[in-house]
Amino acid sequence: MYKSTGFISFVLRRFTGVVLVLYLFTHILVIGSATQGKAAFDATLKIVQGPLFKIMEIALIAAVAYHAFDGVRLLIVHYFNVIDYRKSLFYAAFAVAAFLTAIGGLLILQALFYKA
Amino acid sequence: MPDSNQQPTTAIVRIQRFNPDVDKKPHMQDFTVPLTPGTTILDALHQIKTEQDGSLTFRRSCRHAICGSCAMNVNGRNVLVCKTPLARELDKQGCVTIKPLPYLPIIKDLVVDRSSFWEQYLRVKPWLIPPDNVPEKEFRVSPEEVEALHNAETCIMCGACYSSCQVIAMTKHYVGPHAALKAFLRVLDPRDTAPAERLADLAGGDGVYRCHTIFNCIDACPKNLNPTQAIETLRKLAQKRQAMEEARQERQKTLALPVKSEE
Repeated sequence: MYKSTGFISFVLRRFTGVVLVLYLFTHILVIGSATQGKAAFDATLKIVQGPLFKIMEIALIAAVAYHAFDGVRLLIVHYFNVIDYRKSLFYAAFAVAAFLTAIGGLLILQALFYKA
Repeated sequence: MPDSNQQPTTAIVRIQRFNPDVDKKPHMQDFTVPLTPGTTILDALHQIKTEQDGSLTFRRSCRHAICGSCAMNVNGRNVLVCKTPLARELDKQGCVTIKPLPYLPIIKDLVVDRSSFWEQYLRVKPWLIPPDNVPEKEFRVSPEEVEALHNAETCIMCGACYSSCQVIAMTKHYVGPHAALKAFLRVLDPRDTAPAERLADLAGGDGVYRCHTIFNCIDACPKNLNPTQAIETLRKLAQKRQAMEEARQERQKTLALPVKSEE
């Protein structure tokens, strides 16, 4: 195992990629329940609007934000000669993802506790 | 009581040992070696082999960082042990950990099987394919064209980048940073006649697009080369390889003539 900042970034990118694919299936499953009528759709929505799923949504924001901004990092590396700033780019992707997760997470938690 | 300001006179070298005839899996073994300000890690390995345990096996040759034999994993980083001072790598306990290059099959102790490394090297045809009409006297290449190759030409083929690459850890079919760097050297060489053919191979499934841009290769390179930038350049060129081929044919018409700066 060759540990480095790049390795952490690589593992996170792959992991969040798998998470996003799994989320997509869940998403289709939930939305797809609408084809079985209003009652079935409402019942499914009730499940996914519980506190557990809200917490999982925060994790989803983290996955989306990290995967997206790691992609932005790759685009920057591809189109500009920024190899000297490679470490900073990793940290920037981590920081932006953490920042967006914090904002999104706070909003979700606020809605959750405000309702309760 | 010893003076606390005094430099330590010994160091502990923790080496991963593996004898295929006896061991089922690798284990760590500690040796104590004398430490002087100029001691390199290779010196320490030599000391162990000649005075403590003759069965310790490792590759080395030139001992001044040009043969590329002694790349090893020291404290989790791939380095050439001949140019790495022992004192710099010691932790607070005065210990350094040496392992063979990761992700490659171990033959014995610190010696790894580099077959896949050389297979990928040969795959990119690392030799120059010159034009049919070789000039009588010499090729005239401009300083700018030489400058572009500067990134790639001082590679010593030590394998430090190759075995730090996360993609190599997953598949040995990937071209690898060393071979990509060599391909970059040939593709950008104005004397080479087959840039499109080289780029077509590199644009395939196990080519340069498989790089995950982790930058381990740059951090590992003992010659401060930049395989990632070479891979990024090849990715861009691979998308316009036909134009590249035409430009090369055009350039080769004037390859035997004096370059602009000399006119």
